[in-house]
Amino acid sequence: MSAVRAGTLHGNGEAAAGSGIERYTFVERFVHWWVALTFIALMVSGFALGYPRAYFLSGLFGGGQTMRFLHPWFGVAFTLGILWMLVSWARSMRMTAVDKQWVKRLRTYATTGHTGLDTGKFNAGQKGYYWFAVVLGLVLFVTGLPLWGGWLGGAAGLKHIARFLHHGAFLAMVGGFIIHVYLSTVMFPGTMSAMTTGRVSRAWAAFHHPAWFRQRDRRAGTGR
Amino acid sequence: MSTELGLAIRRKSATPASSTGIRRDTVEIAKVVDIDLCIGCKACEVACKEWNNLPAEATSNFGSYQSHEDLSAATWDLMRFKEIELDGGDLAWLIRKDSCLHCDDPGCLAACPAPGAIVQYTNGIVNFDQTKCIGCQYCVSGCPFDIPRFDQKTKKVYKCTLCVDRVSASLEPACVKSCPTGAIKFGGKPEMLDYAAGKVDKLKGRGFDHAMVYDPSGVGGLHMMYVVPRGDKLSDYGLPKDPQVPGTFFSALSVLRKLGSISVWGGLLATGIFWLRTGRRKPPPEDEAVAEAERLGRETASEAEPAVQETPVGAGNGAAAAGGDGDGAGPVSMPQPPPPQPQEEER
Repeated sequence: MSAVRAGTLHGNGEAAAGSGIERYTFVERFVHWWVALTFIALMVSGFALGYPRAYFLSGLFGGGQTMRFLHPWFGVAFTLGILWMLVSWARSMRMTAVDKQWVKRLRTYATTGHTGLDTGKFNAGQKGYYWFAVVLGLVLFVTGLPLWGGWLGGAAGLKHIARFLHHGAFLAMVGGFIIHVYLSTVMFPGTMSAMTTGRVSRAWAAFHHPAWFRQRDRRAGTGR
Repeated sequence: MSTELGLAIRRKSATPASSTGIRRDTVEIAKVVDIDLCIGCKACEVACKEWNNLPAEATSNFGSYQSHEDLSAATWDLMRFKEIELDGGDLAWLIRKDSCLHCDDPGCLAACPAPGAIVQYTNGIVNFDQTKCIGCQYCVSGCPFDIPRFDQKTKKVYKCTLCVDRVSASLEPACVKSCPTGAIKFGGKPEMLDYAAGKVDKLKGRGFDHAMVYDPSGVGGLHMMYVVPRGDKLSDYGLPKDPQVPGTFFSALSVLRKLGSISVWGGLLATGIFWLRTGRRKPPPEDEAVAEAERLGRETASEAEPAVQETPVGAGNGAAAAGGDGDGAGPVSMPQPPPPQPQEEER
């Protein structure tokens, strides 16, 4: 029907460069990887700081003291990315009627990887992870502030509470991160290219996000 | 200064299973500061600076006999002066040697995330190893006595070492050696407790009814104790009445840590098993996937018209995969017929 349709497929349903449907713009991908890399740096140094047995990871950052210096700045960089996501993506992450259906079929989704619903650009799980990560990211930033240094003040009691919450939010975030990475790399082939090339195959789009697919398809067809 | 001394170690910060194993504890040492004998000469301050090679700091007159306003990274020992008015209208001068009290259960050590940066020897000395300190300052908030001081230049924390280098060579600490009135005693903890108890009795005989030994149990006892003549005026001396290691916090944090490591490793394991069981979910061939998407679109559109007629929600039989009838699945409010408009905002 259109130039888009002419795209060829790789074995796993990944779109070849320039084919398929555009899912994320360059800026969206850039910010995603900005957040991803700063998060990984934060997570690794966070494990080193929070778990004596993982302290050896501090070597990756040039030793304990350098790591302790870098960690909060990674946090600032991460938070900037999170804020961008909050501003730019919040609108497309509002929950809708289909999303309620999706939540009811969570079990089906987990076991078969498919709900059979007329899902839009994002399903409820993706939206849920978005809000989970944005909110926890901000919690981590706020609870990290009193731990940054003496110059930020704060009584000992406040710091203890902050340290506890920071640790708890960190663990929750790591859990979400594992699921996010698993789903987007291992479980659903073709998803990774959405964040690398920015494009997905038509089959991927029609299968996982049919409503969004039709919209994009129609748009492409009418030459918009 | 690092402290790789030949002393037996009791615990180290952030070091799992740090214990001396089968070794029996050695004799614990202690200082006791007899406030009654102290004349506030500050010889101990000077001796501390000299022995530990600490640089002098510029001081200013702030209306007190105190040499410095506060402890610092380079001032580990400070005589604090305070004049108070007693009930009868008399004045009393309270002078206290302020430096690390070497808690038996050190809050700084429990708070520290850097392995080996804080060491407690079996003799009771708690010492910082600046080569391992990462400058996080958790020890500062872990200390109930506000002792450790962070240095902005080196980004590390410092405090009294109880002259661990001298003590390990069987010498008394520098402050003890320099004290002209013998107000700072040094020896085994039991002897020091004996001395302190005897001194308290004497003080009571002299009318100091509230005289006491300051060796609070909330921190497991101290390796620098005080004989306090006016025990009812602890806060005027700047001593907390009931200092505590923030135990609830540390135990809550360690429970969280355990839960954390169990669930992270467990989560990774579960993810691996899940992968083996369910495998990857490839999209079907393009024709099928597109046909299904179009079918869902028609369904959504036709459902949008009769709106509430069919039981809209919940009938979802949870039933599976691709072909699963999308009953009631459609967005409720989508009146535009042929190609149904998904609710989503485009990107």
